[in-house]
Amino acid sequence: MAQVAQVLKQFRVQPNSTSLEEARKRTFEFFKLACRSIPSIMEIYTLEDVVHPSQLRASVLAEIRKNAHITNPKVIDLLLFKAMEELKNVVDHSKQRHHIIGQYVVGRQGLEDLAPTDPGTSDYLKKFYNSNYF
Amino acid sequence: MGLSLLASRALRLSRIPSRATQIFLRPIVSTRDLNTPEPATSAAPPPPPPPHRHPVGGARVHFPTPDDAIEVFVDGFAVKIPKGFTVLQACEVAGVDIPRFCYHDRLSIAGNCRMCLVEVEKSPKPVASCAMPALPGMKIKTDTPIAKKAREGVMEFLLMNHPLDCPICDQGGECDLQDQSMAFGSDRGRFTEMKRSVVDKNLGPLVKTVMTRCIQCTRCVRFASEIAGVQDLGMLGRGSGEEIGTYVEKLMTSELSGNVIDICPVGALTSKPFAFKARNWELKGTETIDVTDAVGSNIRIDSRGPEVMRVLPRLNEDINEEWISDKTRFFYDGLKRQRLNDPMIRGPDGRFKTVSWRDALAIVAEVVNQVKPEEIVGVAGKLSDAESMIVLKDFLNKMGSNNIWCEGNGPNPNADLRSGYIMNTSISGLEQADAFLLVGTQPRVEAAMVNARIRKTVRATHAKVGYIGPPTDFNYDHQNLGTSPQTLVEIAEGRHPFSATLANAKNPVIILGAGIFERMDKDAIFTVVNAIAKKHNVVRPDWNGLNTLLINAAQAAALDLGLVPESDRSIESAKFIYLMGADDVSLEKLPNDAFVVYQGHHGDRSVYRANVILPASAFTEKEGTYANTEGCAQTTLPAVPIVGDARDDWKIIRALSEVAGIQLPYDSLGGIRSRIRTVAPNLLEIDERVPATFSNSLRPESSQKIKPEPFGVTVENFYMTDAITRASKIMAQCSALLKK
Amino acid sequence: MGSVVRNALNSIKEKGITNFFRELRQQGYLNALLDGNLMQTKIHNIGATLVGVDKFGNKYYENLKVQYGRHRWVEYASKTRYNASQVPPEWHGWLHFITDRTGDELLRLKPSRYGAEHRENLTGQGDEYIYHSKGHALNSGQRDWTRYESWQPTKP
Repeated sequence: MAQVAQVLKQFRVQPNSTSLEEARKRTFEFFKLACRSIPSIMEIYTLEDVVHPSQLRASVLAEIRKNAHITNPKVIDLLLFKAMEELKNVVDHSKQRHHIIGQYVVGRQGLEDLAPTDPGTSDYLKKFYNSNYF
Repeated sequence: MGLSLLASRALRLSRIPSRATQIFLRPIVSTRDLNTPEPATSAAPPPPPPPHRHPVGGARVHFPTPDDAIEVFVDGFAVKIPKGFTVLQACEVAGVDIPRFCYHDRLSIAGNCRMCLVEVEKSPKPVASCAMPALPGMKIKTDTPIAKKAREGVMEFLLMNHPLDCPICDQGGECDLQDQSMAFGSDRGRFTEMKRSVVDKNLGPLVKTVMTRCIQCTRCVRFASEIAGVQDLGMLGRGSGEEIGTYVEKLMTSELSGNVIDICPVGALTSKPFAFKARNWELKGTETIDVTDAVGSNIRIDSRGPEVMRVLPRLNEDINEEWISDKTRFFYDGLKRQRLNDPMIRGPDGRFKTVSWRDALAIVAEVVNQVKPEEIVGVAGKLSDAESMIVLKDFLNKMGSNNIWCEGNGPNPNADLRSGYIMNTSISGLEQADAFLLVGTQPRVEAAMVNARIRKTVRATHAKVGYIGPPTDFNYDHQNLGTSPQTLVEIAEGRHPFSATLANAKNPVIILGAGIFERMDKDAIFTVVNAIAKKHNVVRPDWNGLNTLLINAAQAAALDLGLVPESDRSIESAKFIYLMGADDVSLEKLPNDAFVVYQGHHGDRSVYRANVILPASAFTEKEGTYANTEGCAQTTLPAVPIVGDARDDWKIIRALSEVAGIQLPYDSLGGIRSRIRTVAPNLLEIDERVPATFSNSLRPESSQKIKPEPFGVTVENFYMTDAITRASKIMAQCSALLKK
Repeated sequence: MGSVVRNALNSIKEKGITNFFRELRQQGYLNALLDGNLMQTKIHNIGATLVGVDKFGNKYYENLKVQYGRHRWVEYASKTRYNASQVPPEWHGWLHFITDRTGDELLRLKPSRYGAEHRENLTGQGDEYIYHSKGHALNSGQRDWTRYESWQPTKP
């Protein structure tokens, strides 16, 4: 935790990556840093009961993979900067619990319907169980 | 400063009288240009003809005899009115709204507030237009300095002794005095003495009095003696000691007493349960109808958020005019108490536990599929709307049972002839009657608005009223002919003196109470009554005077929809009984192992026997069609949201039918209404009374024998008749204090 | 001092040794062994006149022989946890030489219709004594915002 905070404290704008290779290396560094900060994030936001660290790791990875097609090192640097900023906000407790849950736990696919789904029921019955007004 | 201005100043200064003379010449009116009003003379150059104005409130003028039309001029505009109209009515026809406090359309004319003063040409002083009959060729001027000055003066006198407590007055915002003083009053007062104060009177749990605010318009006194028929209120004292009061300390014992709140132009009589609860401008009005009795009074429900704050009458000349009964006006706090808000199941230990709709419907569906079809029984409550009743009937019919009825219709109702269970004369038609025969009905408690109509007729035409039944309270002259159906036989055979009255009457009316439905010999009674009707020409092509007075809002629609049980003993062999808000059905004969489903909005009586409780919406929370006692279909509109996890009645049964595996073919109100169209199309003619097609004389004569036992009292307690009113604290107070 | 010992021996004789010790504890003499303030008060009390006892049980003493300005004092009802806010307002004036009327006399002037009961200042005594404003989660008087009363199946 202290180590992560130390790294983040030195966080500043680095000179541009000269090649794609360097940008790639920086990305891996960022991912490692994010993974190292996950336990402290779990603690800060009391996420033990909602998520497992591996899920958070996977969601960070998914965020990175989303930009896998980008080859311009300048763009990668920019995205890395924004990612670092986001990570700093998260680690500094600048966010609230529901932000983390909304963005990284629930993620983009949204909450799955936990209510029992009986396939035979009609649209009417589903609406009826939901509310009086339809 | 220019010289000319200086000169004009000097001139003006010289004209101002000295202080000594000023005292003598103190102007009477604070508005300067009204100080010396000149009567408007006809010599003045005629102004351009005023634009055509429409009568106030869209009123239509009815000419009884076209020859009697006279022409008067209101503000130079010629208007034709029937003879006998007052000046004020003429002005209303011409589209001029005259300010008034004491004048009320439905009350006698008092002419004591003087607010309606207008100028009439060739009259030496302003005339009180409400009390002055219009004469042919009269030239009425409502907008002249004299009229304005007169109003301003009257207003100043009225405000002299009126407290300036509008900010804490419940009438604030809907007060005639407030509005009219803004429109016609002066912007300053000259009153420096002490205002008088009057001791408040205790008029009971419904009407709050702040007598200092009273302006002695005597509307309430006239209402009490003319419409309500109680001589409780009166005017005491004279001059500045004049006050309204009950002569001795007593409560106002009338079922219409709440209407004095509406007619009071100031905040002297206000609603006690509503006191300091809300301001009228923060309320949302929903125009709906009342279901606490079978009259279907038109009401406006004022709500704030999820709460019903008060109930006000709506004008409907055919049903309730502009009055409503106290039960209608004050039952609303019952809507907030004892509500069922979650589906519940009675566990094996006999205690209820809250479950989800899914589980509750699954259990009901499981049980209903296990019992035999003839052991399924459905009872619709007295507050059910037509839509939910037809859905319940369809559901039970699909299950194979036809044992469904609506409570209050008796064990063996006859739904074949519509004329046999509705009020054929119509409520407004009662005004043409000149003889009444009330059979086993106490209209004052069963249908207070119908009783007010009968009283109006009796007052206007001195119609004779004969009554057969136990001794009861009437607020008009009547003859108690007897207590048992034997008296009916005597009248039918012409042995009774009242048959002479019926024979002489031009438009006789017979009203049967709904309590007769519960009697075993009801067919025989109907036969005798038919005989009387035939003998005295009660049913003619131009007049149908044979009526039944229902007591519950659901009754007429239930019979229209054919909610008639297959056997009158079905409840004794029932294994599954579906109570849709039925709280007055007797469950004593129900077998102990029967499964009871209660669907309703209040935990009233039947809930304690229920195995499953399905919370439904009250009539203020749903849209539903109700047919009133005269067969006029009207709809309620949702004024407030449902409470808790409740659902509309028809939606519950529709969902249950699907869970039970027999899906009903509609899933919207429109779909249900097209189903109703095939059963009872008259229920879709909203706000229009559909008379019965066939006369009641087609009813086959019964071979039953008339039983000698006397007619009973159908409604024991006027204030507590259904689940909502029984939950109401105000109604409980009323019945404790006012029940005699 | 001799009279004190004599009185003590007399009361042992009267009440028995167990009751004597119980009374000793109730009067706070045992606490006084460790509590200098209380011990000093107890020593002061010897020879002083008891002017009154308020409704909380605080005893008010006066001794005109001691130095002026130190001649009135209170012995608190609670021997363990006492502070000045336990003195009710009617005795406050007497105790602080504002008036010579005792609290009992002043109490007769108190209007019966209003006037809140005196409460000691409980600051620092625990969460349950802390004032929480109306909407606070720890305020026990939570307002019920449900606009209807639901039917309770347990009630008959």
